Amino acid sequence: MSNIFNFLANPSRFKIFAEKVNPFLLIIMFVFIAVGLWFGLFNSPPDYQQGETVRIMYVHVPAAWMALMVYLSMTIMSIFSLVWRHPLADILSKSSAPIGATFTLIALVTGSIWGKPTWGTWWVWDARLTSVFILFLIYMGHIAVVRAFEDEYKGARAAAILTLFGAFNLPIIKFSVDWWNTLHQPASVIKLDGPSIHIDMMTPLIIMAVGFLFFYLSFLLINVQTELNQRKLKKLFIKKLNLN
Amino acid sequence: MKVFFKLVFRDVYLVIKGASDAGAAILFYLLAIIMFPLSSGTDTSLLTTIAGGAIWMTAMFASLLSLDRLFRSDFEDGSLEQLVLSGISMELIVLSKCLAHWITNGLPIVLLSPILSIIIGLDFEYWWILGLTLLIGTPSLTLIGATPAALSCAIGKGGVLTALVLLPLMLPVLILGSGAITAEISGLGGSGHIYALSAILPISLLISPFLASKSIRLGWE
Repeated sequence: MSNIFNFLANPSRFKIFAEKVNPFLLIIMFVFIAVGLWFGLFNSPPDYQQGETVRIMYVHVPAAWMALMVYLSMTIMSIFSLVWRHPLADILSKSSAPIGATFTLIALVTGSIWGKPTWGTWWVWDARLTSVFILFLIYMGHIAVVRAFEDEYKGARAAAILTLFGAFNLPIIKFSVDWWNTLHQPASVIKLDGPSIHIDMMTPLIIMAVGFLFFYLSFLLINVQTELNQRKLKKLFIKKLNLN
Repeated sequence: MKVFFKLVFRDVYLVIKGASDAGAAILFYLLAIIMFPLSSGTDTSLLTTIAGGAIWMTAMFASLLSLDRLFRSDFEDGSLEQLVLSGISMELIVLSKCLAHWITNGLPIVLLSPILSIIIGLDFEYWWILGLTLLIGTPSLTLIGATPAALSCAIGKGGVLTALVLLPLMLPVLILGSGAITAEISGLGGSGHIYALSAILPISLLISPFLASKSIRLGWE
């Protein structure tokens, strides 16, 4: 296993790997999201209280999961980049941030659209909503810091420090619905005594979640390729300048 | 330990002497508080409800303003580098800077808060909870702010970017601090908020010296 990691640790080898793997990831993503959407929109029961509006869940919940997942992976990458000073970890973390911010925004917007018919309001300042909003701001701060440095190596290290600092927010988001009395409902899928959600609703939810995971992976690889190409271009440019 | 207090004394002395503009942040704090009654009307019942939040918000902005310069002047004229070269650990320097910042910025805010709470119309019986939350909260603000302040030194340009990075990290302190006052006024009791708020202080005391000194070193690489 560690051989694979060592093999991929080289950025140029990683780029070749990414180019080969990415089409498959994209296909898997499209299949899962298409099937999940079909299940979610047509082949799952409406909620006994909320009616058809419950179908927003199949986008909202996976997006919120991914918002946390992406930040968690960025935290792990930051530890890699601070401890082992790994260039690939820097690039992966930098490329993850915009995707994570997008997922967070999707979760916030769909949650707001869902909240209007069920809660009667677009937005409330309860613990879950506020902490997710803070997560979005932290993502934006990360994106700004990475790009603020002239030297991309320094920018990545600074962003890694910031990511570690912002990681305090993850447990707050996860447990905010248990620690405080919130309008947002408590966890019903990922909890200790098993999911309390019916299997008919669980199936499209899980399919969509897998689709979103592959969405993250494939777009991460695309971002990494772009980043690596940009760095290569810069190097070529400098080389050319030196020759002249 | 002797070195630590010498460092703290040096920074506090510099502020009192007027060599650093950190004292201006306190003036900003006073001015910003006065803005609230002037901008949202002098209706007493309205002011009573927003008073706690207003004082907390201005306290946060006041420390934000001065935090940007926490390491900057020493970083730029090289004295920070000399201190590290002389064998003092970076983490100790960060802690001393934070303590000095709190003495010159946080402590005046805490001491002024009972008087300001009268000006802004908070019921006088609640001044103790305002003082208590500020007493616990302002050191956390300083410690949380140390890392972004150090990062802004490493970047070389601060200002808006520091604020952008810092404010989301400071928000939990603000929420808990002003939440305690609101909960106490509404009769629910603010102790829950205060417990959570006092949990932030040791955690940030533990984490931020390491992350801040790492960020400072990043500027030297």
